[in-house]
Amino acid sequence: MSTASRERKPNFFYNIAKNYPVVVIFIVLVILFSILYHERFLSPANLTATLRQFVTLILFSIGPTFVMLLGSMDQSFIGIWMLGSALLWILTPILGPISLLVFPLFGIASGLLIGLIHVKLRVPSFILTLSVLIVYWGLTVIIVQGNPRIVPGYEFLTADFIPFIPTPFLYSIVIILLAVFIVKRTKLGTYFYAIGSNEEGARLAGIDVGKYKIVAFTLSGFFSGIGSIVLFQHLGGTVPVSFSMNNVVRPLIAIILGGTPLSGGRGGPQRTILGALTFSVIYRGLYLSALDAEVIDLIVGLILIVSIVISSRGGELRGVEIA
Amino acid sequence: MANEPILDVRNVYKSFGKVYALEDTSLRVYPHEIVGVVGENGAGKTTLMKTLVGVHSPDKGEWYHNGIRVPFPKDPKDAARKGISIVYQERGVVPSLQVYQFLFLGNEEKYIGKFGLQIPKMKNAAKEILDEFHIKCNIEDFMFDLPLSTQKMIEIAKAVLNIRLEQNKENADSVIILDEPTAPLNIEERNELLDEIVRLKKHSSFVFVTHIMQEVIEYMDRVIVLRDGRQVAEYDMATNKVTEKELVRMIVGKDVEEQYQSSRPKNYIEQSGNALSAINLSKNGSYYDVSFNLYKAECLGFWGSAGSGKSELIKTIAGIKGYDDGCLMIQGKKTKNRELPHTRLRKGIGYFSGETVNELFYDWPITKNISILNIEKIVTRFIHLLKFKAEKAMAAGIVEQLRIRTPNTVTAISSLSGGNKQKVTVGKWLERKPDILLLEDPTIGIDVGARDDIYKTILDMKSQGISMILVSDDPKEYSTLCDRIVLMQQGKAERTILKEQLNEVIQA
Repeated sequence: MSTASRERKPNFFYNIAKNYPVVVIFIVLVILFSILYHERFLSPANLTATLRQFVTLILFSIGPTFVMLLGSMDQSFIGIWMLGSALLWILTPILGPISLLVFPLFGIASGLLIGLIHVKLRVPSFILTLSVLIVYWGLTVIIVQGNPRIVPGYEFLTADFIPFIPTPFLYSIVIILLAVFIVKRTKLGTYFYAIGSNEEGARLAGIDVGKYKIVAFTLSGFFSGIGSIVLFQHLGGTVPVSFSMNNVVRPLIAIILGGTPLSGGRGGPQRTILGALTFSVIYRGLYLSALDAEVIDLIVGLILIVSIVISSRGGELRGVEIA
Repeated sequence: MANEPILDVRNVYKSFGKVYALEDTSLRVYPHEIVGVVGENGAGKTTLMKTLVGVHSPDKGEWYHNGIRVPFPKDPKDAARKGISIVYQERGVVPSLQVYQFLFLGNEEKYIGKFGLQIPKMKNAAKEILDEFHIKCNIEDFMFDLPLSTQKMIEIAKAVLNIRLEQNKENADSVIILDEPTAPLNIEERNELLDEIVRLKKHSSFVFVTHIMQEVIEYMDRVIVLRDGRQVAEYDMATNKVTEKELVRMIVGKDVEEQYQSSRPKNYIEQSGNALSAINLSKNGSYYDVSFNLYKAECLGFWGSAGSGKSELIKTIAGIKGYDDGCLMIQGKKTKNRELPHTRLRKGIGYFSGETVNELFYDWPITKNISILNIEKIVTRFIHLLKFKAEKAMAAGIVEQLRIRTPNTVTAISSLSGGNKQKVTVGKWLERKPDILLLEDPTIGIDVGARDDIYKTILDMKSQGISMILVSDDPKEYSTLCDRIVLMQQGKAERTILKEQLNEVIQA
């Protein structure tokens, strides 16, 4: 073996481990769980369940990823799914299947509104989107008078056509590709990274920071809306009325675990895929264990803390330097 | 000068990977003197200073104390016990603290009583220190309220205090390392600070890192020149008065051309038409009734001390700040009071400053840093898809033109030296070619060689028809770049002079 190739090989793995720590975690977990529950973890049923879990996570987390790239936060995605479902329940008897468009349209309107309030009135996005989420939840419960209404007629959305592969998984691939394309290949994506990485620099480079922040929130709403079309049926085809913190927290874990830090500027949808995949495996592994649901929640919380620590460690610390 | 040095390090070697950052460098500091350390960025000044305060440990080297060999310090606290402390260039001040709180920051444990901190005792000690160092401020002032030069003085006092508290001695010998302390200051503040430091020689010795040759010649007792990690020259200023030219030659290792292409005749410029004009432009608290015309392909300088309003004025033109009254016209068209930088850029105004932290995206490659400003040139027409090949070609062109020293165009900015970082900033504007380019301290804190390259590029852009406005603190920069200079004082534009007249004005 020549010296060149001998030097290259460890570098390659070292780089993966350094830049994508989540890949290492993923591989370790898959091996660990395969040994612990050797029959069950690699069974077709569990793999399908893992994919279903992945679909839920990725569709919820793709939208907020855009906003987090800019260093802001969007927690309204669950609200878009809930209130969108309630609107669908109202509209379906009137308009028929075309009512599904209510999700992306409502998502766009919601994102635009949040973006405008955030930028023009300078409300911090974390608390703003949390408030919006609670408002949407309240509206949902009022509209359906507290009952989880069934909205029939959309079963075709999730009907299988490849065995063992949930159909929503196929939809989510298309949605992911679109998101990755936007951040990696367009001017818009470049501007998002620029704002997240150095907002002052972006402003000096002549980028209308306010405008692109609004665009990011709108895109987030749009992707949450598109995702909710699939998720509505994927998660039961009823209007959700009970609010679960888990639904908000887990997609955020997927984003941060994947490598988009809370401060923005790095990561993106392509990294969120890794995060969602890894978290799905973690979750299924915990689910197969004998642990109580409460203990699982506790572990999930700890995972969030650890992934925030890992993601903020990645960036170079701008320490004091001597010229 | 006493013959026993208080700091004596010899034959220090330090390598990072295969590259030697320091090779066989020695430094001696005697009591009551100021030792200047000069050299280009990357010459090893950083590494030497960090070795002295225990941030880096050297590969090889000896440290003597009273003639006895002792180990190098393990960390900054250990260095303070040996009598060495450092005042960093920036980010050393905690603005939200009061003066006495800041002075004892990190040393509070020496003032813990039965009921928490002994505030009155701390305040008395702080008062004594301020008197001793002749610092004119109140111990209860907030740091952010004080002028930059006073903040620096307090930092120096803190460094001396730190050594005293570590050694538990009132009159400990101390060496304070000052890393470009004058870089953020304007010319008056600079002289004031330097005079104070000279006065402080009776309390402490100083190691003074700087890029400004004048400071070295006027204020230092000794100076050492580093190049490529080695000490290439040492001058005792008392016996061997060195000229600025000689110093620069030792730093760069070759003669730097002093001659730049001269500016055009005045009448030629006026005939070429107006690029920008201001009539009675005012911003409350900053500048009042400023009127001027900027002609095409001309560089107009604004000269004045800090507080003269020159910095606010250039930021107003850039769109970073707004104005309250008057009229600002770009190519004859009026502007609104408040327009953001992106609007001004669309109208043809570009702005850059020497503060690369704000200007550049440090973790991005060179390619992206250049294309962010020129993205229209490398996207497809309809949905703005990026063309990566065009992006690379664009960056490669700039790297070659400006002689940016880098392994390739995808190297991250953070791994470039200060001068090369600044060249990238200039390069993105060179590619963009705005109608009007605003320069604020364009070469602050960079070495002589890179400065030369940047001046050449800027003058080149000017000869291509780009108008410029310069705000800086370096008189030489004005005479190199400007055609005309507006003198500003306390927010008013006093009069306009030709660049040749600037020296008379400064000396008057």
